[in-house]
Amino acid sequence: MSSETKKDILINILKDIQRNYGYLPEEKIRKLSKKLDIPVTDIYSTATFYSMLNAEKKGKNIVRICNSPSCYLKGSLDILKETKKILNIDVGEITKGGKFSLELTSCIGCCDKAPAIMINEELTTDVTKGMLKKLLK
Amino acid sequence: MRILEKTDREAWRRAHELGPQKTIELLKERGLTGRGGACFLTGLKWEITRNTPADEKILICNADEGEPGTFKDKLILEENSETLIEGILIAAYCINAKHAYIYLRGEYHYLREKLKQTIKQLLKDVVSDLNIEIVEGAGSYICGDETAIISSIQNKRGYPHFKPPYPPSHGLFSKPTVINNVETLTNVPLAIIHEDWSDEFRLFSISGDVLKPGVHEFKIGTSLGQIAALVQAKNAKAVYFGASGGLIPFVPNFKVSQDHVCKEEAMLGACSLIFVSKNRSVLDLAINIAQFFTHESCGKCTPCREGNVHTLKLLEKIKEKKATEKDLLLLEKLSKMIRDTSLCGLGQSCTNHILTAMKHFPDDFR
Amino acid sequence: MKIKINRIELEASEGEFIIDVARRNDIEIPHFCFNKRLERIGACRICVVEVKGMSKLQASCCTPVMHGMEIETHSPRVLEARRMNMQLLLADHDLYCTLCKENLLCKLQKYASEMMIEDTPFEQLHRADPVDNSSVSIRRDNNKCILCEQCVRVCNDIQTVYAIGIANRGIDTRIIPNFCHTMKESSCINCGQCVVACPTGALTEKSDIPGVIDALNSDKYLIVQTAPSIRATLGELFGIPAGTAVTGKMVSALRQIGFNKVFDTNFGADICIVEEANEFVERVKGNKVLPMITTCCPAWIKFGEQFYYEELNKNMSTCRSPQGIVASLVKTYYAKKINKDPKDIILVDIMPCTAKKYEISRPELSGATDFVLTTVELAKLINQLNVDFINLPDSEFDNPLGVSTGAADIFGHTGGVMEAALRTAADQLSGQDLQAIDYSNIRGMDEIKEAEIEIAGKNLRICVVHTLGAARKLLDQIKSGKSPYHFIEIMACYGGCIGGGGQPPPNNKETLAKRTKALIHVDEQKTIRKSHKNPGVLALYEEYLGKPGSEKAHKLLHTHYSKKKYL
Repeated sequence: MSSETKKDILINILKDIQRNYGYLPEEKIRKLSKKLDIPVTDIYSTATFYSMLNAEKKGKNIVRICNSPSCYLKGSLDILKETKKILNIDVGEITKGGKFSLELTSCIGCCDKAPAIMINEELTTDVTKGMLKKLLK
Repeated sequence: MRILEKTDREAWRRAHELGPQKTIELLKERGLTGRGGACFLTGLKWEITRNTPADEKILICNADEGEPGTFKDKLILEENSETLIEGILIAAYCINAKHAYIYLRGEYHYLREKLKQTIKQLLKDVVSDLNIEIVEGAGSYICGDETAIISSIQNKRGYPHFKPPYPPSHGLFSKPTVINNVETLTNVPLAIIHEDWSDEFRLFSISGDVLKPGVHEFKIGTSLGQIAALVQAKNAKAVYFGASGGLIPFVPNFKVSQDHVCKEEAMLGACSLIFVSKNRSVLDLAINIAQFFTHESCGKCTPCREGNVHTLKLLEKIKEKKATEKDLLLLEKLSKMIRDTSLCGLGQSCTNHILTAMKHFPDDFR
Repeated sequence: MKIKINRIELEASEGEFIIDVARRNDIEIPHFCFNKRLERIGACRICVVEVKGMSKLQASCCTPVMHGMEIETHSPRVLEARRMNMQLLLADHDLYCTLCKENLLCKLQKYASEMMIEDTPFEQLHRADPVDNSSVSIRRDNNKCILCEQCVRVCNDIQTVYAIGIANRGIDTRIIPNFCHTMKESSCINCGQCVVACPTGALTEKSDIPGVIDALNSDKYLIVQTAPSIRATLGELFGIPAGTAVTGKMVSALRQIGFNKVFDTNFGADICIVEEANEFVERVKGNKVLPMITTCCPAWIKFGEQFYYEELNKNMSTCRSPQGIVASLVKTYYAKKINKDPKDIILVDIMPCTAKKYEISRPELSGATDFVLTTVELAKLINQLNVDFINLPDSEFDNPLGVSTGAADIFGHTGGVMEAALRTAADQLSGQDLQAIDYSNIRGMDEIKEAEIEIAGKNLRICVVHTLGAARKLLDQIKSGKSPYHFIEIMACYGGCIGGGGQPPPNNKETLAKRTKALIHVDEQKTIRKSHKNPGVLALYEEYLGKPGSEKAHKLLHTHYSKKKYL
């Protein structure tokens, strides 16, 4: 293995931090920068590129509703409407108390079981309005 | 479906008997082509990398399936990762790579542990010092692009890079790199073992206004009508080839192949078919897909970053019945310019859906 | 190989890109993100051309030439695509040009005018990003950024400072310091190379012209000093060809503007050499910390204090920069001499760089200078006050801080400080008046230049480096205890001060070479070319400072460094 293929994979490390803290806290990124000898600016630049990494605090549970064509055809917008109603927030917002935040997302690969949503890293398929109340407790 | 067949490592043994060069020749003979959308001859790609002088070669398995309407690789990862890993081992062996990466899209994180176990087990069973590392994506469609995967693994933003240089001669960490799709690599062992293996059979991901969505294996050239009957498409109006392939109107005797689809100025891509029924307006779908591309554009080049925002605005204007003839002409010109001047495949294909929709269903835009 | 551009057959070599061949043959292709010194990215898509046989248009900056290629750079299809991409940029840009710093200098304006773009059919996107005015040197306005990424590539790849980076994705992409901190909080060292690289008004130097105009209209006593490199670059802003020194006209212009005294920073450069050579010889003879590193460059000083303080602060020369020396003398020695309260004197420095605006605010320098104007700002001021620069007669600097040797003039280009220092140090070490004083092997545009010189039986290894990315190699070497050098000159800007953040663009290799030649010519024309023979300097030491390195010299002419934090 060359010295390059031995390098730490930043995106894997950042996902671990995201998993543990719900987002990427600035102090953790500064510590990481020292550890990996990568400038903070580079890490921040990489992190903010990806939809599943957040440099700002989000809800403890990030709810992502797929709105790509297949899910759209199967009623993703109805699911979105119901979710907004249950959580009482709009897309991009966080519930009071910080338990949930809401986003739309691109195709998550569940097109044959649409509509589908993702809560943190868990996929739920064939979502109906009825299922939402339980999922969003 | 043949794609789910287990091989009991038979192909690995055969590849070793033949040696790397003869294995590559065999795959070239079998005619195995890439299943990620580009359809390049796999054996030839391996040969280029094998013959490029360098101290190290690298293999990347592209498991960043992100094209809307595509879920075939997911099926393979769930139900036949053993054959996939065997394909990875054979590929690495043929190109003389000691290090392989599996770039697994972040949304498939739940498959990671199982994949790790399969890798561990297989490496134990066979004699191989190949190092297989799983890199998890983090929500970015563009990272399905070859050069964007390379940027991502190099700890950078998933920005595509201009080509040439092409990855088989100058790729990850500037080393010759082969990037193959999951379905392609899974077909490697099957093509080696089965004399009657044919490149013409591909996995189709079918969804949308159909009663039986799912992954189906079809021969290239199968008619739309046949496919529609199998998946029970309801009153089909048009078929989208993912988001980037554009649409064709539903014509039952249309033969689904690269050439036929290209003639309609659309792209077959990774064989994802999204059926849309007659009660739908393609304008609504155009807005939905334009939203997708606006969100997924990496932002590096001007036409794609800025252009997608404005195609969406124009489509919304049309929807609100506030658009003029000038606006329609502008939308067409803008879509063509984005296609003509963008840096990468995303930009070059992100307006296919608008151009084909306007061509075949102009009434939906009035 | 032979290729055709616009139906003209041209010679091209393997490895060249279309735009390189075109420019070599005076075929101008519009571009924003292309810069010969930076990594090619093919992002702006303005340089697209038509290539026969390829269905899509190709970016000429990153498409390699191939034998028999036929290219059209201005066909109707290309012009239409270029125009539309320009219109897309304009739709995402603050179009209030009249009130923009970069008005009449902006590349986006230039192309819009050349392409006769009088409207954009696209809706204005109105970013409404807050302007970052926190830094004393550089102003950042993201509403004018066209994401050509030149600033990021310069800051990260060339300078290795990483103050700014690209964040977010798609239409939300922005170039900002990490975690949205301000420029002031970031690791920005104020070198201004991003300002030089930026084609629009997104990055500009902080203007001090209003303050200077107020000062000129006040009843204070006004003194100005001009850095060594200004005389070699100011002329370009008045249409005088690059490589022409305009010293005399510059002095006349400043007098006409209303300065009571026009001093020469070069005087300070000669003192700097006397002090620094003395410090160097003491380190060599006394076996103290080596290598010694020059410290006239405030961008490099901040860089050192941020990234290498613990390891290297003892290597940095304690001597102030030439402007710091003159400023200190103006507000103490000279103020006393003309019987004025230093508070009634306003000192303006004309400097090649934006980092000097930061330097004068350093607490360690006691705020002697009141304002810094860059070369570009001075030209603006000259025009604003209706001075007919080109037709001015030559005049001389004022004394006692106006006479300088040839050694001071060459401070302006990379290798010059080292050469000047060696002329004095060599005499000191050998005890002779050495005649061979041209150290030409440390001149030129290579980023790292080294030489071995024998003086009085000692083998001295010296190194000259410009751009901080190159400097890091030497600094890491010192950090690991493996440095083979005794004396190192570091300049943050490519080419040295002649390529500074406040100099008129372009600062490409050709222009910088011409500017260097101008300074070398001035040096060669002078009869006195060694700093320690400057009669004014000798008189000053005799009258006021005592000996080099004396207690008074230390108090007024030396400084210290401290660890600088950054985010």
